[in-house]
Amino acid sequence: MSLLANRVAARRAPATRPARAARGPRTGWRGLLLVTPFFVFFAAFAAYPLYYAFQLSFLDWHGGATYRWAGLDNYRYLLTNPDFWAALGNTALIWLLIVPLQTIGAIAAAGALSRARLRFTRLLRTAVIIPYVTPLAAMAQAFILIFDRDYGVVNHLLGLAGLPHVEWLTSTEWSKVTIALLVLWKTSGFALIVMLAAIQGIPQEVYEAAALDGAGPLTTFWRITVPLMRHAIAFFVVISTLGISQMFLEPYVLTDGGPYNSSTTSGLYLFQHIGASDLGTGAANTFLLVAMVLALSLAAVRLFRESK
Amino acid sequence: MVRPRLVNANNPTRRDLLLGLGGLAAAGALGACGVPTESEAPAALGTSAAPSAGQARGEITLWMRDDDLLKVFRTVVPAFNAKYPGVKVNLKGVDIATKLPPALVSGTGLPDGSFWEDDQIGQHADHLYDLTALMGRYRDDTVQFKLDVLTHDGRLVGIPWDTDPGLLYYNDEILTGAGVDPASLTDYDALLEAARAIKAGNPKARPIPLEQDNTLGMMWYTMFLNQQQGHGLVDPSGRLTLDGAASRRALTWIKTIVDEGLGARQKFASTAQITMLDDGIISLVPWAIWFIFIPQSGLKKTTGKWRVTGLPAWTPGGARSGLMGGSSFVIPAKAKNPELAWLFYEFAVYDPQGYRTVFSKNSVYPTGLNTVVPSVKSALDPAKPLVDRLPQLGGVDNWAISTKAALDIPAGYTAPSWYGQAAKYLGANIQRLMDGRMSVDEVIAKSTADIQKNLIDRN
Repeated sequence: MSLLANRVAARRAPATRPARAARGPRTGWRGLLLVTPFFVFFAAFAAYPLYYAFQLSFLDWHGGATYRWAGLDNYRYLLTNPDFWAALGNTALIWLLIVPLQTIGAIAAAGALSRARLRFTRLLRTAVIIPYVTPLAAMAQAFILIFDRDYGVVNHLLGLAGLPHVEWLTSTEWSKVTIALLVLWKTSGFALIVMLAAIQGIPQEVYEAAALDGAGPLTTFWRITVPLMRHAIAFFVVISTLGISQMFLEPYVLTDGGPYNSSTTSGLYLFQHIGASDLGTGAANTFLLVAMVLALSLAAVRLFRESK
Repeated sequence: MVRPRLVNANNPTRRDLLLGLGGLAAAGALGACGVPTESEAPAALGTSAAPSAGQARGEITLWMRDDDLLKVFRTVVPAFNAKYPGVKVNLKGVDIATKLPPALVSGTGLPDGSFWEDDQIGQHADHLYDLTALMGRYRDDTVQFKLDVLTHDGRLVGIPWDTDPGLLYYNDEILTGAGVDPASLTDYDALLEAARAIKAGNPKARPIPLEQDNTLGMMWYTMFLNQQQGHGLVDPSGRLTLDGAASRRALTWIKTIVDEGLGARQKFASTAQITMLDDGIISLVPWAIWFIFIPQSGLKKTTGKWRVTGLPAWTPGGARSGLMGGSSFVIPAKAKNPELAWLFYEFAVYDPQGYRTVFSKNSVYPTGLNTVVPSVKSALDPAKPLVDRLPQLGGVDNWAISTKAALDIPAGYTAPSWYGQAAKYLGANIQRLMDGRMSVDEVIAKSTADIQKNLIDRN
């Protein structure tokens, strides 16, 4: 090898050594070994069930000994069924009752709490998270008693104030509101903690610079705090949307989807198919919901990204 | 109307061919996934399958509803083991409605036998043993409607356990206070008259409960159908009966209660309904036998004032009983020890020692199990009560009343496989009727159309 070639090789060596090490057989083997459990679990508990459910969505199968190929009939049935769209509409209304109010409320409360010199902050954080960790079924039972038309304390208080009784759980107009109240009560603590963590992650220097520029509290909040919280807001809106689109337990225990299916959400409607062993329609319903929720979530993420 | 599409084999289009190829591919893949193929035939358990007491050896797991009934059936095991010492019985409390259907469909984690509600069984009859041959010797000793309910496609797939007849519970003090003789409540018009009389004396009264739950409201209406015509939502040929005379009569009666403000809208056994019962707002309850647990343990102010009698009749001389609920035992076709499961159920249901252990007073039910009655005719002897009279019901002979009602349930009832799903349509429309938002004609027309489109044509 010529001197020049040796020098060239020596110069190349530092550049090639790490690359070879990165592709080296020992490291690659170990890396593969480390990620294998994930792929095994993912294949067994996510990919395969999804694949299986996708196949089911093209079958007319009620769990019996026989099934029949149905092509796109399950999808066509759902997309032309008023009940499917009514359940989606109910879900959308419940989303409207919950997410904007909860998001704005949590941002405002987090803003106030981050500025205030509060005592008993640990106690406060525990208090707001208690509803989040309380079993939903137990809370729903309490709600049934509190919002009962004839004997509930809410209507009793309305009566004392001279207001008419409301059919909280048994009217098409109010049943969704009561479900929304239950969700708000249960999850607002979580919303507050997400927003509080986001606010506390904003560097203090930004606020100091704003103060030097003469920004007041409101300007600082709207021009500094809220824009810098957009990732947390996007996260919360997406998580809430995902949760509400699958909402099942709240209407199931509170109203059982009634009266007259007026509080049947998409999740409960899906459950009704599965519960009746109409597995093909249930699977098709699942994939329609997945497609819709995915589109909504992507739209929300894009919206917050563009607002940057 | 959306009908599942089938490939036209005589004149296939390119689309049909593509769909067919896709179908074949999916069918092949699903065969490997565990979805059953059309070649699987339902299993039958023949008379030769039942081993003798000496031969019976092994271990069985039986699922029960996870409540007091599980505790009661555990008391049967020692007596069963005295007869079959070689069989170890594991009774397990399980949420059957949630766990059994997927276990049957997947064929994994199955028990050797299970308790199940009658109206749930038909949907999964293919996965259950045909017990027609084994049950042959007991047919004559079983109330007929239970055999009808459990027969699907000519296969008897359950061992009948309880019978749930409808009865009329009433607050005697309120009724007599309104000047109504309880003995006069022999037809549904008389019941309306009694409700009017009670309301005339107490404008706050809403004497008859109007159920607010879709499923229970539909069961109530189905009881009225069964009472009048034997069959329920469908006739023996499978046609809907919603537009029949019996249906119109029952719905019109409900509508009258609504129009005259005689009904109390609450859910069965809810705190609010129990308060209404105890406050004397509700006083006339035509309901299933299992309402008995409320006056027995849920009421304070009106305890001892309640009584029970047979249902009123819809027509002069008509049946004074109807069916509202019921459950049985089933043996999965893929059970490991179906013969041993049969032996246990045969003992618990048909052996006098078995059913007496279940129904007579015990540590779980100090006055006996009185929320249901057996389905075995020889056990339904008014002269040989299995349960005690109750002071909460003024000491009336509730056993004699219940057993008579059980034997009087009109035969011919079948539960279509889609019965549970109908609550979403018919059940919801009955709720609209009870809220004054639908007429009788609208309930019939809309429910018929919805059930036909969403359940019958799709199944």
